[in-house]
Amino acid sequence: MSDMSPIALHAAAPGALEVIRMTIVQGEAKASADPRVEMSTILGSCVATCLFDPVARVGGMNHFLLAEPPAHARSGAFDSDYGLFLMELLINEMLGLGARKSRMRARLYGGANLNPDLSPIGTANAVFARQFLEREGIPKVFEDLEGTQARRIQFRPASGQVRARLVPSDVAPTEKPVGRPQSALGTVELF
Amino acid sequence: MQASTPAPIRVLTVDDSASMRALLLGALTSRGFAVEQCEDGQEALEWLASNEVDVIITDINMPRLDGFGLIEKLRTSALHAERPILVLTTESSEEKKQRARNAGATGWIVKPFDADKLTAALRRVIH
Repeated sequence: MSDMSPIALHAAAPGALEVIRMTIVQGEAKASADPRVEMSTILGSCVATCLFDPVARVGGMNHFLLAEPPAHARSGAFDSDYGLFLMELLINEMLGLGARKSRMRARLYGGANLNPDLSPIGTANAVFARQFLEREGIPKVFEDLEGTQARRIQFRPASGQVRARLVPSDVAPTEKPVGRPQSALGTVELF
Repeated sequence: MQASTPAPIRVLTVDDSASMRALLLGALTSRGFAVEQCEDGQEALEWLASNEVDVIITDINMPRLDGFGLIEKLRTSALHAERPILVLTTESSEEKKQRARNAGATGWIVKPFDADKLTAALRRVIH
C-alpha cells in the first residue's frame, strides 16, 4: 500500500468541515464536488475506480464485479458489459458536475483473488478496468490491484485523495456477480 | 434465378467512448447491420453532410457537439429531417428524455442495452 496520501480523515481541528460519509456498494457509481464528502468501499475481487478532475475538483467512485459467463456461453470471457456500464455511469455523473473526460485521472483498486480454488475473477476485473482506461485515453496514475487480500478504500472526491488499506478478507462483503439490472435492461421507448 | 439478398440496414453510431463503440460495432455487425461510427456530434454532422444512413444511434454526453445539439442540427437539414435517431444513454432523468424528444429524437434507450431489444427497435423505426 504505497498510496497513503496525507489525508486527515478524522481531523477534529476546530472549524474542520463535518465529514459526510458515503458508502459505495457493488453496482454503484457516485460523484461529488463536496469537500466534506468521503466515499468508502471494501473490495474483495471487485474493482473500484476513483476518477478525479483536478481542474473542476470533481471526483467519483464506482464498484463493480464482472459476471462470469453463462455455462452455455461459447466464449470463456467474463461479461464486461456491466463494468462498461458502471464506468460510463461514473463518467457521466462527473460530467454532470462540471468535470471533463480529457482531464480525468484514474486510480484502480481491488481485484483480489481471495479464493485460489475459484476462477480468477479478481484478475478479470482488473484486466477489464486497465483496458477500459487505456481504450478511453484516461491516464491511470495509480493502481493497487490483484493479490489475495481484501482492501478498504477511502476517497475524497473533491481533492482526489485516496487512502487504501488491506483488511482481513472476512471484512469484505460477500460478492456475487450480478448481471445487468434486468428490470431496466435496455428499456426502449419510441416517441 | 436466385433472389438477391436485401441490402443491410445502415447504422451510424455516435459515441465518444471507444469501449461503447466497440461494443455496438460487435453487437450490430454480428446481427447483419452495416455500421459506421463517429466519435462526437460534430464528426457525425460532418460525415452526414456527404453520406447517408438509414438510422442514427447517438449518445448524449459528448465533447464538441452533444447528442441534443446533433439532433437539433440534423432536424434543420432537409436530408435528415425525417431520419430516425435513437438516443442511447445512461441518463435516466425525465428532463433529459423530454429534451431529447423536443429536439426531435425518435426514441430513447437506456444503457446498459440489450442487443436484441436494440436491434428490434432499429428495425421498427426504419419501417
